[in-house]
Amino acid sequence: MKSVALRASYPLTDSRTLLEEAAAPVAEAWTGAKIITRQVNFYYGGHQALFDNDLEIARHRVTAIIGPSGCGKSTHIRIYNRIYELYRDQRATGEVLLDGRDILGPAVDLMELRRRVGMIFQKPTPFSMSVFENVAFGLRLHYRLSKAEMADRVEEALVKAALWEEVKDQLRKPGTALSGGQQQRLCIARALAVEPEVLLMDEPTSAIDPIATAKIEELISLLKEQYTIVIVTHNMQQAARVSDFTAFFYQGRIVEFGDTQKIFTNPADKKTEDYITGRFG
Amino acid sequence: MKLRPPTGRRLTNGAVSGLAAVSALLGLLGLAWILSGVLFRGLGALNWSFFTQLPAPPGMPGGGLANALAGTVLITLLATFLGVPVGLLAGVFLGEFGRQSRLADTVRFAGNVLMGVPSIIIGVFVYTIVVIPTGSFSGYAGALALALIMLPIVARTTEDMLSLIPDPLREAGLALGAPRWRVTLTVIFRAAKSGLITGVCLAVARVSGETAPLLFTALNSPYWPDSLGEPTPNLTVTIFNYAMSPYPDWQQTAWGASLIITLGVLALTLLARLSLRERQK
Repeated sequence: MKSVALRASYPLTDSRTLLEEAAAPVAEAWTGAKIITRQVNFYYGGHQALFDNDLEIARHRVTAIIGPSGCGKSTHIRIYNRIYELYRDQRATGEVLLDGRDILGPAVDLMELRRRVGMIFQKPTPFSMSVFENVAFGLRLHYRLSKAEMADRVEEALVKAALWEEVKDQLRKPGTALSGGQQQRLCIARALAVEPEVLLMDEPTSAIDPIATAKIEELISLLKEQYTIVIVTHNMQQAARVSDFTAFFYQGRIVEFGDTQKIFTNPADKKTEDYITGRFG
Repeated sequence: MKLRPPTGRRLTNGAVSGLAAVSALLGLLGLAWILSGVLFRGLGALNWSFFTQLPAPPGMPGGGLANALAGTVLITLLATFLGVPVGLLAGVFLGEFGRQSRLADTVRFAGNVLMGVPSIIIGVFVYTIVVIPTGSFSGYAGALALALIMLPIVARTTEDMLSLIPDPLREAGLALGAPRWRVTLTVIFRAAKSGLITGVCLAVARVSGETAPLLFTALNSPYWPDSLGEPTPNLTVTIFNYAMSPYPDWQQTAWGASLIITLGVLALTLLARLSLRERQK
């Protein structure tokens, strides 16, 4: 029944069969898109950076956000975990529904929101502590765990981030001493450890070499089984490789949104086509 | 157009770099002169009894400055315990929580003014607010005066060091669901650790050579510092008194005390340097 309702209410379906759909673990009562934004506007002080953004982020899929520099890609996803609130003069208006609940409201528990919506940054951000402690940091915030449980959870997160084999003998080493690609996977492990539902990735491979980038892209394809992923990228090949859906942003507006396949082969908007074919950006 | 012949430029260049080099050498020469003077004259005064005995009357053999050494260490320690936490917290307010607020601008300005206040005025200030009401010179008053001098130095270096930590690191901590204070105390403080230690070391080094503020507060005493509630012996005021005395053996002792203070400040500065170098690794 659930899956039927999902089909009906949710236009962004893909090739999964109804049977698979029914077998998929749908823990939440809400069966529509994982995140729906309605009429979102964003301001840096007096400067408006986003205009009437409407977007639906599909559950357990990868959604790529592309567009030229300064078009508001990062700004848009920074609303999903309200990280912009670190800065006094930034504010968002409109509605962002996570599983049907508005997260921009005043009653939202930010700690819980950010546990559910993890974020990976452009430059790796390992903390000045050991590899183990980096992953344990988030766990200590949200869970009461015994020493053994903690060790298990840390290992589990590092395995999920495809880093365990490389660091299992150097868990005491400072996180900052790893290579750039390893640092980024450490940050992914740290985010995964607290059992998020959504993973926001803000150009996660732009500061990393091609081989490490390939590893992370591979990882993204694995992770979408369990998580809803939104990735901002400057690299169009990357968007085409890893994502199921693509949104093209231009000057703070969402110009086009749809199936990645379609956006890249048969875009509806002239601007999308020009950007994808490299005519500007 | 005709090019100017290069001889003029070469001459100017030579003259300016020559002057710069000579000035640097003069500065170094002055430093070497002071250090060697203190070392040669001070070394003769140092012996076992210097570190273990109370001062002897002029003309009497033996005697030492054990009480003043102990007093200086006590007063400086207490000043550190008073000044460093307040300075650190003020720096955290300036560099983290209050960053863009008007209050922070005011506090920063007040701190700069306090840093520029001549130390003797701090001494007179503490004299009026502590020594007069309590009716007694005391080590406590001395420690308070030194703490007031340390406060703006620690606050300023703390703010500077925190501002070196890139924002994405703060965002990464917050994005895991950590509250702001926890991000500051664990993630940011750890990342800035060596810089913060450097700031504290430099502040301690700065006050450990202060004489003027102690003249009006701790005063001095020829006895053991049984309690900081009474006039407390200390090295700098002892140097002041002994160096001005007509007795050659007291003057000799003053040189010894100068050497000890110089070595102490040198050690603290080196420690600060080492800790910074650690950071750069």
